[in-house]
Amino acid sequence: MTGRVDPAETLAYVDDCLEPEARRDFEARLTTDPELRREVALWESQNRAIRAAFGAPPRGALDLGGVINENGARRAGQAARSADDAARISGIARKPRQATCPVAKRRPPSGPGPTARRLVGALALTAALVCVGLPSVGPRPPAALFAAGAAAARALAHLPVEFAADDPAALAQRLGPRLALAPPLAPGLQLVGARLAPGSRATATLYLYDDARGERVTLLVEPLDEIAATPPQRGEIDGLSVAAWTGAGYGFAAAAADDADVAALIAAAGVDDDSLAGAGAQRR
Amino acid sequence: MSSVREWSDDAGALRRFGLALVRDDRFVFDDVAASALIEKLFRQASLTLVECPGGDRRAARVRAFAQFVRLYRRYARRLALDEDGGWIETPPSGRNCGSAAVGVRSLPLELREALLLVVLAGFTHREAAAALDLPLAVVVDRLVRARTRLAAHMGAARDAAAAWPQTAHLRIVK
Repeated sequence: MTGRVDPAETLAYVDDCLEPEARRDFEARLTTDPELRREVALWESQNRAIRAAFGAPPRGALDLGGVINENGARRAGQAARSADDAARISGIARKPRQATCPVAKRRPPSGPGPTARRLVGALALTAALVCVGLPSVGPRPPAALFAAGAAAARALAHLPVEFAADDPAALAQRLGPRLALAPPLAPGLQLVGARLAPGSRATATLYLYDDARGERVTLLVEPLDEIAATPPQRGEIDGLSVAAWTGAGYGFAAAAADDADVAALIAAAGVDDDSLAGAGAQRR
Repeated sequence: MSSVREWSDDAGALRRFGLALVRDDRFVFDDVAASALIEKLFRQASLTLVECPGGDRRAARVRAFAQFVRLYRRYARRLALDEDGGWIETPPSGRNCGSAAVGVRSLPLELREALLLVVLAGFTHREAAAALDLPLAVVVDRLVRARTRLAAHMGAARDAAAAWPQTAHLRIVK
């Protein structure tokens, strides 16, 4: 403990109880007194440890890189619903009881009967099939995958990876058999690691790369059973260049700020507009 | 809506504070009882706001926490009297066992309540003094003592962890 500074003042600083002017003075002293700095650091770390030990959120806002606080939105929604319910209940309570409704007059049936309607429907369906052809059971545009890849890149690309490795095979093995698809290695992109992320239908792996300028490039790989291969669908969402395609039982979505990085990933995966997806990825 | 949200946050803070402060599971014996107690305390606090619309919401929050502290102090005193002073708060089972949590729980009640009001509940020193019904200087003195003891406990826990042989689980297999 320092002899120069009152412990009460140090405590007040650590517990955020100082007036702005006194706080500025104290911070000025902090810059010149290493022992005081050490004491403040110790007590601040104590505060963090206590709050973490008992499940309290840390003080100060966390920057999660644009992640939407779903809990906050849900809680706000619940509060709005309960307010609506309360208003409805009180409205019902205040309303005088209505007199019994008069019995509605039964209207005579109009138009064709049920058999005729079925017959007309069957004829219309047959005509449509003859003119248009049978609905295709082939590839559908992976729009959901496209959106999931962009959302994952926006929310998670700048957070630390859960599995750090630059060896694709080792990385794939750590993720278990269902997600064990070694990520493609594109020239100019350095594999950083992977993390789990929500896909379009199931949990997916988000592989993260660094490009030559140090910007993050992501590849979402989602296991999708019984899905036909589709060529890459390219587009742009919020300044991110995104491409999504399917193949080999997986859905893929690459996202980067630079369109060339996405193209490099597509090329490294051995996919082009004419070939099927997944050829470059090796099943482990 | 924001008011509903603030009260909900306050109730969460009081629940955390209660879990950290109370060392005897018999005080609030289950989760339903804890929820009922917290709801009652905040309802009482919010009623004072209804009666006096210009009232300070933060003051109402202090009142709710102060009431909780008084209830637990009364409970501890009664048990100590019932058991001829032989009642000792024991760490409840199945809770946090990190060194910070153990250190906080090992503090005497008067130090624990001051520290937790400020650190966990986010009260200023003046608010903590109001909640504990004590002069500000006494609260500051308790905070300093609590922090010093906690630092010693956490330092000792760190030393013990460092002294533990890290390779004790490894065996040489010939």
